[in-house]
Amino acid sequence: MTPRPPPLIEAIALSKRFGAVQALDGVSVRFEPGSFHALLGENGAGKSTLVKCLMGFHAADSGTVRIDGKVHAIADPKAAHALGLGMVYQHFTLVPSMTVAENLVLARPDLPQVIDWRAERKGIDAFLARMPFALDPEAPAVALAAGEKQKLEILKQLYLGARVLILDEPTSVLTPQEADEVLGHARKLADAGALTVVLITHKFREVRAYAREVSVLRGGRNAGGGSVAALDSEALVRMTFGERPMPAAAQRGGEGIGERCLELRGLNALNDRGAAAVRDLTLHVARGEIVGVAGVSGNGQRELVETLAGQREPESGEIAVAGLPYGRTRAEMRARGVFLLAEEPLASSCVRSMSVAENLALRDFDHAPFARAGGRVDFRAIEERARSLIEAFGIRCAGPHARIDTLSGGNVQRAVLARELSGSVQLLVAQNPCLGLDFAATREIRGRILEARNRGAAVLLVSEDLDELLELADRILVMLEGRIVFETDRAGAAAEAIGRHMTEGSRR
Amino acid sequence: MTGTELGWWGVALAVAGGAIRVSTPYLFVSLGETLTEKSGRVNLGLEGTLLMGAMSGYGASYLTGSPWLGVLAAAASGALLGLLHAAVSNLPRVNDIAVGIALFIFGTGLAFFLGKPFVQPQAPRLPTLALGGFSDVPAIRAALEVSPLFFIGIALAFVMHWALPNTRWGLIVRAVGDNAEAARTAGYPVNLTRTLATALGGVFAGVAGAFLSLSYPGTWAEGLSSGQGLMAVALVIFARWNPVHCVWVSLLFGGASALGPALQTVGVTGYYYLTGAAPYVLTLALLIASSSRRHRLAGAPGELSINR
Amino acid sequence: MRARAETALITAGALALAFALFGLFLLANRLNPLEVYAVLWLGGFGTSFSLQATLTQAAPLMLTALCVAIPARAGLLVIGGEGALVAGGVCAVLAGVAAAGLPAAVGTALVCAAGAAAGGAWIAMAGALKHRRGVNETISTLLLNYIAIALLNHLVSGPIRDHTVSLKVTSWSIPQPYMVDAIPGVGVHWGLALGVLACLAAYVLLRYSVPGFAIAVLGGNARAAQLVGLPIGRLTLLACALGGAAAGLAGAVEIVAVHGAASSSLVVGFGYAGILVAFLARQNPLAIVFFAFLVGGISASGGLMQRRFDMPDAATQVLQGMIFLCVLGSNALYGRVRMFRVARAGA
Repeated sequence: MTPRPPPLIEAIALSKRFGAVQALDGVSVRFEPGSFHALLGENGAGKSTLVKCLMGFHAADSGTVRIDGKVHAIADPKAAHALGLGMVYQHFTLVPSMTVAENLVLARPDLPQVIDWRAERKGIDAFLARMPFALDPEAPAVALAAGEKQKLEILKQLYLGARVLILDEPTSVLTPQEADEVLGHARKLADAGALTVVLITHKFREVRAYAREVSVLRGGRNAGGGSVAALDSEALVRMTFGERPMPAAAQRGGEGIGERCLELRGLNALNDRGAAAVRDLTLHVARGEIVGVAGVSGNGQRELVETLAGQREPESGEIAVAGLPYGRTRAEMRARGVFLLAEEPLASSCVRSMSVAENLALRDFDHAPFARAGGRVDFRAIEERARSLIEAFGIRCAGPHARIDTLSGGNVQRAVLARELSGSVQLLVAQNPCLGLDFAATREIRGRILEARNRGAAVLLVSEDLDELLELADRILVMLEGRIVFETDRAGAAAEAIGRHMTEGSRR
Repeated sequence: MTGTELGWWGVALAVAGGAIRVSTPYLFVSLGETLTEKSGRVNLGLEGTLLMGAMSGYGASYLTGSPWLGVLAAAASGALLGLLHAAVSNLPRVNDIAVGIALFIFGTGLAFFLGKPFVQPQAPRLPTLALGGFSDVPAIRAALEVSPLFFIGIALAFVMHWALPNTRWGLIVRAVGDNAEAARTAGYPVNLTRTLATALGGVFAGVAGAFLSLSYPGTWAEGLSSGQGLMAVALVIFARWNPVHCVWVSLLFGGASALGPALQTVGVTGYYYLTGAAPYVLTLALLIASSSRRHRLAGAPGELSINR
Repeated sequence: MRARAETALITAGALALAFALFGLFLLANRLNPLEVYAVLWLGGFGTSFSLQATLTQAAPLMLTALCVAIPARAGLLVIGGEGALVAGGVCAVLAGVAAAGLPAAVGTALVCAAGAAAGGAWIAMAGALKHRRGVNETISTLLLNYIAIALLNHLVSGPIRDHTVSLKVTSWSIPQPYMVDAIPGVGVHWGLALGVLACLAAYVLLRYSVPGFAIAVLGGNARAAQLVGLPIGRLTLLACALGGAAAGLAGAVEIVAVHGAASSSLVVGFGYAGILVAFLARQNPLAIVFFAFLVGGISASGGLMQRRFDMPDAATQVLQGMIFLCVLGSNALYGRVRMFRVARAGA
């Protein structure tokens, strides 16, 4: 069957409102057949909403979608598939216990009741032969690496006959090589005219390396676009971020760098699948300094922070805080002033069913003045303290008794911050503390982290946001495939050099 | 020659015969629960379903004179209870383990309530195949009196083993049980699939009950079941969610159950209850050996609530 | 406050639905629901005699329900009340027989303590298996139930059998002075008081004490508990041990207040009925007292209903099963009833 050329997709003046938020406001984008078109923008710019309207997940409030010139009302994902649109999501939609072949066949809408595997395998083998990357059809999905899983997701869409392939932040779970492989292959297919690729991303590097066209969204609206070759970095930055004044960098002060507080030596940890995630990691953080750990997500940062948080057991290596071995017990945390701002605060650091006040007391409910003689918890004292923290940190909630999961994301993070930063902090470990937060909250939180440093705390800041690290860190390390591969001082830090190390490494 | 004269050969024969006989209900409940759990649900209520199946099978056989109609009635009542489990468990935020326990209480009560008129009369039993006809030894003959349900069960095990990877529905059930989100994205109805799988699991459990009341021990009374329904969950774990393994596991459990009474015939008393506990101890030991803090049990469907 | 009103309303609604459905069931069996319910009331709560029977049933239910509710607070689903009760009963007998000759009150206390300790250890085993090996506690406690019952039967019919009793297979009896009488004026044994006290103690402990709060954090979000350094293993064991101790105490109470010796009469389903009570009470120890009373009443009325309507007392199980199913299904309504909804706060 000769594949037909991809259709022309036009989104015309699409608008979509979710409650109080106008996610899309009259956005128009034209996806030329066979193009590699990037959709660029920050978190919350409307990229996902736009493609979800194209895929039939949402019905746009107004505007039209034209395919090859004809207007189509795409009611649900099945209709989108029938029109040749396919999407690869950020999360995997594979069945772990099934093989690659079974996963492909499962996606077929016209599957017969009894499966003739010989015929199916023939079809799959023929299909795979046409594809630029291959997978073993008999391999169970659970055994595939993240990159291979992503490839399988793409193969699945192509197997279903998609002519327009939408990739939603596909590289967020891939190593740099895997990302290059996947995007490289997608680009080849687009160049061959077999496919239109729409790449949703917030990474300029990917736009530059693979896309031919780019459309930038900001705050739900078109913010520019055009041919990638014709736009320089500054133009892209301006379109993506707008004419915002740079945040007034909080004052760097404090007594300067003191003795070592956190020391990791030869740390090894496995990820959930049993593969090595943190390899022989060695680093140190001294008092009064912020050490930033840069890197693309998926290089072991999550496992590193979980190990420091006591949520993961290391395989080997030493962790020392204030010169003594650190076993991540509650007593040690308290005695040595170790605090943690983990990613996804609601899921990792809070108890959803408990109130704001109770969550604020998770670290010290078992000590005076919140624990009284006889082992009784003094809830009134907890409430009082909660009130003062709510005010000091500007946590917007219905009161200390409100359940913490009724708070917005930014306020949950403020609450966790209030809990972690209101003690005497000797060591602070923070991971992507401003992820998904708005501008004001981000500025506030970064300011507080800097304040902690100025007051003499040692801060380990693990972040995927290079700008965040450039703003805050005294030293920047780069973590790649579980190891530290580069180190630079604040003074000599250059974004390009750091970025290069984030993506190089095993390429040699 | 009697069993005691055969000595330890008698024990072996009794265990073998017991393994075949007693394993049949184990086989059916484990197959039913395997299917249910493959779709991502745990049904702890199979004990109640089994008793309802036993009662309705017995009652139908008594009222119609045909034990096979009894089996049909048992299957139907099993399906109904399975549907009830699914209906409640499909509701959001409902814990399927708790629903199973509720169904256990409900099904047991319902069975003994509706079954009161059937306690005294004797219903026609299912026929058995006299496979031991070649022998003159009564013990061998007795051991090889096999109910056709045994062979039906084995056949069903192989059919299920084939169907799970080779039919559309088998693939859907596995997808729904391993990653419901993936199944939903592919457009498959998660709740409906689980409902059907649970109902079918109930059918199997009902038939298991029919075996108990219509074949061996062949009566309807208190104490008919020795917990086969509740054990289904353990059996399935032991069998690693593989239908063909269910056959071996059921034979093993059946044999272990028959060990106690068999030993008594050669005068080894005093360990009757402990040997009866052997299957449970074995399952627990297996669980301990194969569980690990890090990984899920190998072969366990990802959506099972007991594995999270 | 709003949450409590929501809980009360939805639970009451579920109960009403269950009674309505049971009414339909009775109609289908050519019985008059109103008559049956009148007798249910009479047999469970209507006379002082029936109240006594109800409270006698309720006493062990309160304790076995705690065996579900306390571990539930730590995020565990334990269904081993039956096994813990049996373990408690056996060890109570062994302790009583081994330590004969003590003053009565001391002896009774010792017997009860032994039962509680045995039950606690029994369930703590499951807790340890969960923490160290990740063995699912629902399955392990289910299996332990069977193992405990097998051990009971083995011991009672063999090593600790009282051969002077010919009509029944029963174990040695504990010394008569250790047995406990009825509470004066109430006509129910002291086990009832123990049950109520245990529920009160559990409530206070879980809600107001430091370890109780720690257990609640663990049950609420184990990852958050790890992050703040709480000792997960110790808390798991503690919750299991406390729950098991309650059920073990129920076993001991059956010995000192009812039977005096261990036998298969210990295995009457208190453990499984306790699961029902715990879920009805939404794992709240104070509500357990009420629901143990309710479920006990339904069980106690079985005899009267059987005599009046020539109805098998399995009818009470049918009713209990329906109540359980309706209450479980009603879980879906939480957060959906408009007047109890909480708005999302600020941005």
